[in-house]
Amino acid sequence: MLKWIAGAVLALAALPAVAAEGERVQVKGEIIDTWCYFSGVMGAPEAVVGSAHHTCAIWCAAGGIPVGVLAEDGTVYMVLKWEGNGDVAGDTLLSVQSHEITADGILHKRDGVNYLIVEQVVADAGITNLSHEDFGVTPGFAIPKSVTGE
Amino acid sequence: MIRTMIAAALAVLMAFPAAAEGEFAEGSQVTGWKNLQGRENALFTAKVVDILCELTGDCAEKCGACKRQMGQIREADGVLVLAAKNSQASFNGATVDLAPYCGQIVTVDGLLVGDPAVASTKFYQVFAIQREGSDNWAKTKRWTRMWKRDNKDLADKKGPWFRHDAAVAAAIEANGWLGLGAEADKTFIEEFY
Repeated sequence: MLKWIAGAVLALAALPAVAAEGERVQVKGEIIDTWCYFSGVMGAPEAVVGSAHHTCAIWCAAGGIPVGVLAEDGTVYMVLKWEGNGDVAGDTLLSVQSHEITADGILHKRDGVNYLIVEQVVADAGITNLSHEDFGVTPGFAIPKSVTGE
Repeated sequence: MIRTMIAAALAVLMAFPAAAEGEFAEGSQVTGWKNLQGRENALFTAKVVDILCELTGDCAEKCGACKRQMGQIREADGVLVLAAKNSQASFNGATVDLAPYCGQIVTVDGLLVGDPAVASTKFYQVFAIQREGSDNWAKTKRWTRMWKRDNKDLADKKGPWFRHDAAVAAAIEANGWLGLGAEADKTFIEEFY
């Protein structure tokens, strides 16, 4: 009996206090690696987006670092769900890293963060930000020496 | 006279907290990652949550079992803090370390990080987690351990996980290091290296 009560308490503790309604939006922007973009760990924001940062963005997404959509006005939307799939911390979004996309979805704002439920990707222009032309690759070891021949 | 002035100046400087010291810095033991934008130590008590569940009511068993983005609702002010990173320096998020504490009250030690020029708020890098009522701190180094457990055939290969991970390798194989295809990679490598 006590185990049942303890189990019920744990289940309740995991549930949200309040589930709020979101706002229907369409967002156009670039899929980015949010940790490198916000923390500056690899350099300036413009060096950690686009083709320069494509490989690192794949590593970070695979590692479970939050994936974001960087809109043209500079707003970043943290992706919580992608076309019905809530398992966004891992391999789900590797194929769209650095892509310019347009997505229909639901926006939830909480404590200064924009969280996006992507319902449908209505356009995918691929990689349009050719940042490697200005920055090479970031980090510099993204392409292994066995490939570059260094 | 000069010694007196230096001593007075040092006393004034020591009377103020470091510039990066934030509201939740007291008791934090994190010392590394000095180069992060907006870096401030932060130790606080919080409830560990699956953010998708918290915001929308779309919940999964065990907070998605390491596959959903995780956060912490800070006890002091009710703020939902997005956990973006664990303590490891190999491109690892915080989900694998936080998911085992789904729905539980914990104390976390880490860093609030974010360049105010581009970030609307700060995000959390969690270094250690203490379960309520426990004296033990768990360091957030679970990610690579779990990867090795799930990739036994690759675990002993030389180099970090991201050089061997099958999904990463497939993504790079498909579109190249720049994501622009093999021809773009070839041109870039010839010109840049």
